[in-house]
Amino acid sequence: MADDKCTSCPAFNRKSLKKLGINLDNTDFVVALAGNPNTGKSTVFNSLTGLRQHTGNWPGKTVARAEGAFSLNEKKYKIVDLPGTYSLLSASTDEEIARNFILFGQPDVTIVVVDATRLERNLNLTIQILEITDKAILCVNLMDEARRNKIDIDSRSLSRELGIPVILASARQGEGIPELLQSVEDVVTGRFLCNPFRLKNISSELNYAVEKLEKMLIAEFPGMPNARWVALRLLEGDQQIIDSIKNGEISSVIKQQIIPEPKVEN
Amino acid sequence: MNESMQALIIGLSALVAMFLLIWPKGGILGLFKRITRDKKRELIEDSLKYIYNCEYNKNCLCVDELKNNLSISSDKVKNLLHSLEETDLIKTENSKYSLTSEGRSYALRIIRIHRLLERHFADQTSYKDTEWHDKAENAEHSVSFEEANRLAAKMGNPIFDPHGDPIPNEKGQIPLIEGKSLKDISAGIIVKIIHIEDEPTNIYSQLVALGISPGMQITITEKSDKRIKFIANNDECVIAPAFAENITVAELNETEQDYTGFSLLADLKPGYLATVRSISKACRGQQRRRLLDFGIVPGTKIYSDLESLGGDPAAYIVRGTKVALRKKQAREIYISDIEKEDLNG
Amino acid sequence: MDIKNSKENILNTAEKLRWEVGEDFHDNVMETIYTDAARIADIVVIKDNKKAFHLDRFIDRLVTSKWTGFPIMFLLLALVFWLTVIGANYPSGLLANIFVDFLYPVIRQYAVSFGTPLWITGLLIDGGYLALAWVVSVMLPPMAIFFPMFTILEDFGYLPRVSFNMDSLYRKVGAHGKQALTMSMGFGCNAAGVIAARVIDSPREKLIAIITNNFSLCNGRWPTQILIATIFVGTLVPAEYSGLLSASAVIFVALLGIGLSLLVSLFLSRTMLKGEPSAFSLELPPYRPPKILQTLYTSLVDRTLFVLWRAMVFAFPAGMVIWLVSNINVGNNTVAEIFIDWADPFGLFIGLNGVILLAYIIAIPANEIVIPTILMLTIMVTGIHNVGEGSGVLFELSDVNETANILKAGGWTALTGINLMLFSLMHNPCSTTIYTIYKETKSLKWTLVSTILPIAMGLTVCFFIAQIWRLLE
Repeated sequence: MADDKCTSCPAFNRKSLKKLGINLDNTDFVVALAGNPNTGKSTVFNSLTGLRQHTGNWPGKTVARAEGAFSLNEKKYKIVDLPGTYSLLSASTDEEIARNFILFGQPDVTIVVVDATRLERNLNLTIQILEITDKAILCVNLMDEARRNKIDIDSRSLSRELGIPVILASARQGEGIPELLQSVEDVVTGRFLCNPFRLKNISSELNYAVEKLEKMLIAEFPGMPNARWVALRLLEGDQQIIDSIKNGEISSVIKQQIIPEPKVEN
Repeated sequence: MNESMQALIIGLSALVAMFLLIWPKGGILGLFKRITRDKKRELIEDSLKYIYNCEYNKNCLCVDELKNNLSISSDKVKNLLHSLEETDLIKTENSKYSLTSEGRSYALRIIRIHRLLERHFADQTSYKDTEWHDKAENAEHSVSFEEANRLAAKMGNPIFDPHGDPIPNEKGQIPLIEGKSLKDISAGIIVKIIHIEDEPTNIYSQLVALGISPGMQITITEKSDKRIKFIANNDECVIAPAFAENITVAELNETEQDYTGFSLLADLKPGYLATVRSISKACRGQQRRRLLDFGIVPGTKIYSDLESLGGDPAAYIVRGTKVALRKKQAREIYISDIEKEDLNG
Repeated sequence: MDIKNSKENILNTAEKLRWEVGEDFHDNVMETIYTDAARIADIVVIKDNKKAFHLDRFIDRLVTSKWTGFPIMFLLLALVFWLTVIGANYPSGLLANIFVDFLYPVIRQYAVSFGTPLWITGLLIDGGYLALAWVVSVMLPPMAIFFPMFTILEDFGYLPRVSFNMDSLYRKVGAHGKQALTMSMGFGCNAAGVIAARVIDSPREKLIAIITNNFSLCNGRWPTQILIATIFVGTLVPAEYSGLLSASAVIFVALLGIGLSLLVSLFLSRTMLKGEPSAFSLELPPYRPPKILQTLYTSLVDRTLFVLWRAMVFAFPAGMVIWLVSNINVGNNTVAEIFIDWADPFGLFIGLNGVILLAYIIAIPANEIVIPTILMLTIMVTGIHNVGEGSGVLFELSDVNETANILKAGGWTALTGINLMLFSLMHNPCSTTIYTIYKETKSLKWTLVSTILPIAMGLTVCFFIAQIWRLLE
């Protein structure tokens, strides 16, 4: 790994980070920003792009999809701020936008912003996202609030459990942003290989149905990375997934995974 | 002086006239809608549906019952059956009527639309449970099959209607549901309601008023020729056997049985902690998904934290998050293992 | 195997399996996810339940307690409104001085010195610019004070608690507790109130909040209420009581607005919106210390300037229209005079007059310019000299008595005043708000309902009051 002291030093990134606002031309990588409402997602977005989206202590602030850009070590990143949602399974418009972007938009990495003070609740969305995509980073935001409220997070254990990089941050103070950028770079360049957590405790009768479909899906679409998730969606009668199987659009999710990567335990 | 009196009277009458336009029962506008409906198509579709139901329940078709069901005269029934036969929707063998395959697929399409509409009214609108059937009955004849498919897609292709009936799929396939009538279950047995017949409406609305719905587990405590007693939702209900005929149930084995000693979240006082057992099936659609998204699933610890100024809603702490629930919602969440926990200490 | 076939096969199998796994599938998946989430959280979250959120819990008990909850809510909201009203006076006057008293003549003179044709200076400067100047100077200061304060309360986390407390009232009329917030926001500006309805995630309750927002007496309507109450209601009693009476009249109208919004909510939820989907959810986020500077910036940009920009876009053309109708002659009379003549019988019949009706039509962009428009039109039709700036030029007088004299010369009575106050409460939303409603609901139907419903109510109420008034006279 190209892990020399200089590139991993936050100060290095500070210098090479250019906030590009809405200048979205010729980007090298696409970063998706997902998260529950009211987790400071917009603040993270703003501190990466230099834009000023409104943030507020109210669920459901960011209504439309917002895009911005930054460049880091000569590479240009487009960052897409997805609507804040509690879940990706409940079929509201917001959830569909977020879900479709993560599934079909093929972001090079998805940053999941969660609220450190309400981690358990936020893990719902995180786990759902990890079912869809392999490349993700967990940004545990609002650490300042958590500490004020006498809550601490063991980021190493969390990273081990989820199999993705975990960054403790406090975006309002700019804390954790350099580390977040470093992780983004690590994941998109393949320096960090995610081995994401997948659901384990599906009850046996459901698992039978899920596994049966999963096998059929893998036989039909070899290399599909999230076949089990697609199977789950089929069992929920998700029309969009049904259609995407009918017209073969679903196979677009396979392309990005085509290069076989050696799995490395982190 | 006089003029303004006149104006006042004219004004008042105009208000009354406007009012009558929308009330009662949709008023004059509603009447106009009812008159302009396509009566013939409705009759054909309703009778096909009826014949299909007879066949599904393995009853043979009685012309009298068809007549009552559609509330038309005997002559009209004869004409109707005749025209159905002419259009190859039904056939007669040994003077018994049965559906042709076209007739059956037509009937199933109508049933699909009807049940999808009921599902839609139950999940995606705030109409009351007693209104779903009638609303669907009114709307089903003007909804095209394609519209119904779009509706289904939007709802995540539901497989059961809110009364527990399976919804035929696009190809008109439908599984048989196995179940017994509540009338035939003996005392002391725990069963799960799988279907509540929505016709006739007066019986259905009384059953709904008892607070029972498909998916609910009930325990039969007493059974005689005169009445059947059972426990549902911690409440004792008494119904006549004639009513019990309209409820289809399935017996449960041990592992499927819900925890029985539950209370309602609405009764949990501030300062107490409990474990969620289940969410009532009466909580549907988006509302149910919200609760699940909040992490209110079986096994969740829930702490009653605050009451608002008026006492309703109250705030609960679930998975480290404070959420407000109205009493009505809190009555649909079953809990157990209540213990005092003083976080304010 | 044929590709199409095996895809079909997958879908068919899925469909069959769905019958087997049954309806509770989604429930089960969520349960599975949360079981894992709880397990992981148990490992990684280190907290002491007794100490965690100690301050939060204390504040929450304070603001929801029977003894302190209501007084705190009342005092905080009253403080916000009071600061807005008091604080906006001076900057408003200053802006009016700059834009209207100073810049307007300068620009006009400058244009004239270049030999610009009179109709162009009239249309663009007397019409468009002046309307714009009015809107900016009257609208900007209160919004620039009100919205940041509101946003600070919001960022702190207090407003969700207000919804929580108010929900029992709103539930009874079929609405959502958060409507208390959109309604309060509406006292600042209805367009902003409509945008704020975004936080209501239940479709039916959101529509109710949007449609009824217009019954919150917005910033632009307060001056109208105060002026008319002083002139027509205050003078009904001896001078020493007149201040008290006119103030009570204004407060009464505002309270009537709140009452009406509840009543209309009830009506809507029982009739038109009966079947619209409804799902209550309200989260009480942890309290967070607000970041004052950031809040100031974002609330100014997101709310104040956003709304102001929309208002300006509508005000300029409206100013031009106002100038045009007062300057284009058909025969011997201007278009405005012809319309007023034509509408006067109906206007008088319902206790208003033709001038008011025309003013409400052409001053649709902003309630702020209704009074200037009325004054200008009244002078035009009565032919009073020595006041005003000429036809089509908006103005306002600093002296209440002078205003009263003009209005009385225009044939106004106490009935006209009272009905105008009511009509100002119950009439179509301003064009900015209508446009915002359309943007938010994306439905022509609900935009029309929210436009027509209040104006129908206003006309009806004015009609009945006028008839009863005359009966008693």
